[in-house]
Amino acid sequence: MAGAYGWRRVTTAVVGVVLAAATLVGCGSGAAGSVVLAFDTGTEGVDQYQVAAAECSKASRGRYMIEQRSQPNRNTDDQRLLLARRLAAHDPKLDIMELDVIWTAEFAKAGWILPYPVAWARQVERGTLRAPLETGTYQGRLYAAPLSTNPQLLWYRKDLVPKPPQTWDEMIQMADGLAKRGLPHYIEVQGARYEGLTVWFNTLLASGGGSIASENGDVQVARGDAARQALSVMARVAHSRAADPSLSLSNENNARLAMQAGSAAFEVNYPFVYASMHEDGGGAFVDALGRPTGQDTGRRVGDVFGWAPYPSIVAGQPARVTIGGVNIGVSATSRHPAEAFEAVQCLRNRDNQLRNAVGVERPPTLAALYGDPAFQKKYPAWREIRDSLDSASVRPKTPAYNNISIVISNLLNPPAKINSSTVVGQLADQIAKAVKSQGLVP
Amino acid sequence: MGTRWGHKCWWAVADLAIIVYALVPVLWIVSLSFKPLDSINDGRFIPAEFTWSNYQQVFRVASFVSALRNSIGIALISTGLSVVIGTLAAYAIARLSFPGKKLLIGGTLLIAMFPQISLVTPLFDIERKVGLVDTWPGLILPYITFSLPLAIYTLSAFFREIPWELEKAAQMDGATPFQAFRSVIVPLAAPGVFTTAILVFIFCWNDFLFAVSLTSTEASQTTTVAIAQFTGSSEFTEPTGSISAAAVLLTIPIILFVVFFQRRIVTGLTAGAVKG
Amino acid sequence: MTVAMRLGGVAAPRRARGHVSERARSEHRLAALLCTPAVLVILAVTGYPICYAIYLSLERFDLRFPDQRGFVGLGNYGEVLRSGYWWQALTVTAIITVVSVAIELVVGLALALAMHRAVVGRGLVRTVVLIPYGIVTVVASYGWQYAWTPGKGYLAALLPESVAPLTDRVATIALIILAEVWKTTPFMALLLLAGLALVPEDLLQAAALDGAGPWRRLTKVILPLMKPVILAALLFRTLDAFRIFDIIYILNQGSNGTASVSMLGYDNLFVGFNLGIGSAISVLIFFIVTIIALVFVKLFGAAAPGAEARKRR
Repeated sequence: MAGAYGWRRVTTAVVGVVLAAATLVGCGSGAAGSVVLAFDTGTEGVDQYQVAAAECSKASRGRYMIEQRSQPNRNTDDQRLLLARRLAAHDPKLDIMELDVIWTAEFAKAGWILPYPVAWARQVERGTLRAPLETGTYQGRLYAAPLSTNPQLLWYRKDLVPKPPQTWDEMIQMADGLAKRGLPHYIEVQGARYEGLTVWFNTLLASGGGSIASENGDVQVARGDAARQALSVMARVAHSRAADPSLSLSNENNARLAMQAGSAAFEVNYPFVYASMHEDGGGAFVDALGRPTGQDTGRRVGDVFGWAPYPSIVAGQPARVTIGGVNIGVSATSRHPAEAFEAVQCLRNRDNQLRNAVGVERPPTLAALYGDPAFQKKYPAWREIRDSLDSASVRPKTPAYNNISIVISNLLNPPAKINSSTVVGQLADQIAKAVKSQGLVP
Repeated sequence: MGTRWGHKCWWAVADLAIIVYALVPVLWIVSLSFKPLDSINDGRFIPAEFTWSNYQQVFRVASFVSALRNSIGIALISTGLSVVIGTLAAYAIARLSFPGKKLLIGGTLLIAMFPQISLVTPLFDIERKVGLVDTWPGLILPYITFSLPLAIYTLSAFFREIPWELEKAAQMDGATPFQAFRSVIVPLAAPGVFTTAILVFIFCWNDFLFAVSLTSTEASQTTTVAIAQFTGSSEFTEPTGSISAAAVLLTIPIILFVVFFQRRIVTGLTAGAVKG
Repeated sequence: MTVAMRLGGVAAPRRARGHVSERARSEHRLAALLCTPAVLVILAVTGYPICYAIYLSLERFDLRFPDQRGFVGLGNYGEVLRSGYWWQALTVTAIITVVSVAIELVVGLALALAMHRAVVGRGLVRTVVLIPYGIVTVVASYGWQYAWTPGKGYLAALLPESVAPLTDRVATIALIILAEVWKTTPFMALLLLAGLALVPEDLLQAAALDGAGPWRRLTKVILPLMKPVILAALLFRTLDAFRIFDIIYILNQGSNGTASVSMLGYDNLFVGFNLGIGSAISVLIFFIVTIIALVFVKLFGAAAPGAEARKRR
């Protein structure tokens, strides 16, 4: 048993440690000479961003130093939360930020990001594709400069389907036919309760001529027949034999893996699946009929992996694919906005976009790069990607997009329970509230 | 003799059941933390092969190292301040009669019951205005407040047991109440204070809600949040090994406290509830 | 051995009541001095924010629509109370609270009786039960999450093939309760164990001589004597379980309609960035907790003051 003196010693030690820890607080490092610009990015493509930051710092001839930083986060939602929280708390350590294409309106309306000065905006617009540019624009002003873009394509098995389907109806029919013959037949699509489900709906809706809401918060989902049409396609996929049993939990990655395992005939997904397929050794072996097998047949899924434009709703009219991707914005809390806007031009220049495209499967937003041999080599589907960008659609550009997406993915999951005649009204009601950010977020 | 042995045997079985109950979920994480990447998903309770690589990996993650520093620093400072402030108040509650004592007890009790989420929203708005979001003080302040009831109750329960006569005797010898407090009560109270410090430290070390709400970068993010933000090699791979290794590291101080100060912790935990 | 235990039998001496003297005044001064820091901290970090929360809850205040900020009266409360998400979260939280506290009481009592009577390994058992109490909730939750993940966990391996318990709503709530019970039963047991120590041994012997079996001794002698301790333990565990957050956040992020009210409040603050709605939820949770506490104190006569508060998160 420790005596009173023993306890005094313990207490003294504890107090000592506390004081020592206290003195360690706030040992910040002073900035050297030139302006330091923070470049906050997600955790994907950090290597490429670091090279870009170093090269652009060098190019500025010592006027500014770009420091790439990334806060570990699990997914885009967490990344948004961390960034938005820092912006809301007026964190002055933020200058240049990688922004998801769906955050533009929200961050702009909240006053967290600065609009590009006209001269810089002009320069960004030069040579940049229309649809990506649209994702960075809010109320007629450019708030986020497009860095990369991401359109979905149709990926399919050339050995099972000689000619890719043009429409969803045709694809469901083909899948049904394959099922009857006992061959792989699933259509892999994002049906889980998350943003990916909203993307599926938005693409089908836009392809049929509809729209969820306008930039001014005008809810348009119930106008015309496009929503009912889109929902009926989703329900039909879910009820047909084309549906993967885990459709209601499926995201981009599940879809990719199902295709690699040989159980799917079709997959709607982003271009990264092509590189992934070959990085993973080409997937499962397939037999002469196209069924996956454990035996070495000398032919893998990757050998018969084809691509085509995203299936449309109306035959003869191209689908209007919802694009993803990232843009670059400048924080309203930045102490050096002028240097930041200038640095953005370099960070998204041709070299850096190409580096991202080749290194992390992020298709570029500069039209000219689609003719670049290095890019075409990495993306055999470059022509389809380029074409789908011409007809691409963007998600609703309203500050409450996040709320809208939650409402949609909640109402449409599981896809098998979609009642295409009643759910349109529910969508319209709930989106009308969500667009004004009324009500609760689940 | 036979029945005595049978009796003991049954107790041994009961003990074993309790030990299994308490330790198996902990050993599972330890097991995961030693599994190499290629067999981490094998579902076995005992790893087929051992590796330290998950631990090496964790210490290469800059955000975890800084989070460890933040966690230790913030928990120690909060504990120190909370115990000092709590000791003063607990002494007054246990030893002195003064107007407003009931109100003070009631007030601290109210905080003990307080749902933390109720404070997170207003605190976030207040802290973002005064620039405390994502700083050490921004977390230390709520930690002190929420651990104060714990400190005050545990301490006053300990203080009630300290022999009052000794303090009185010191005062008879001409010491002021404050001198009596310092020279007589402080040494006697030290074990109680130490125990309280352990409990408060565990509370701060454990917190997740305040940390996940009021921090955002390496400047102040604590380990509980850093773990939850670990990333795998891609968005779709779960960093099971790193999380498990970090989880084991977070558990080590708790195990040390429990093993070395078991009696004190039990006394501290139950003191207030029983003696009411 | 602690001071408290050594002197356990000595009753704390009562302060002699006398005329208000110079000494009493100096005592008041000292008390004021000693309590000031605690009171200041409490007022600054709890009192002011809760008042501010009430004020915020009456405003339309969405960080993403700064220009729309303005007074809306009880509008936010209307929004919350009309929302299915709120009632769903409240139901989930109530189920988790009631079921887990009930299980904790029964298992905790059994554990306490075992520890009270234990002949062998007393110290060891008391040490190991502290581990679930002390372990970081986030850590324990990851352990459970991995254990129940098919293909990864040892517990999922015991289930039939292709069963993923964390994707099913009812199963997930059951697993949340299991994780909560595992973590907090030891604390309940220790509280009850301390209460058991207050039951006089000779009273039990007398009851045994009167022919009362173990069950009668438990229900007629032990439990009535332990009532105050049980009520205090129930009160604090109920309030603690009601604010459950960490376990759900780690286990499944509250998906599939398993979010608790605390998670709902968090999501509306940081996913919705809606401080008005978030504050209304905060105030409602505070209100419910107060009602629970009042019910315990008024209806059951739980002795609150001096009772022990325990928090894990």
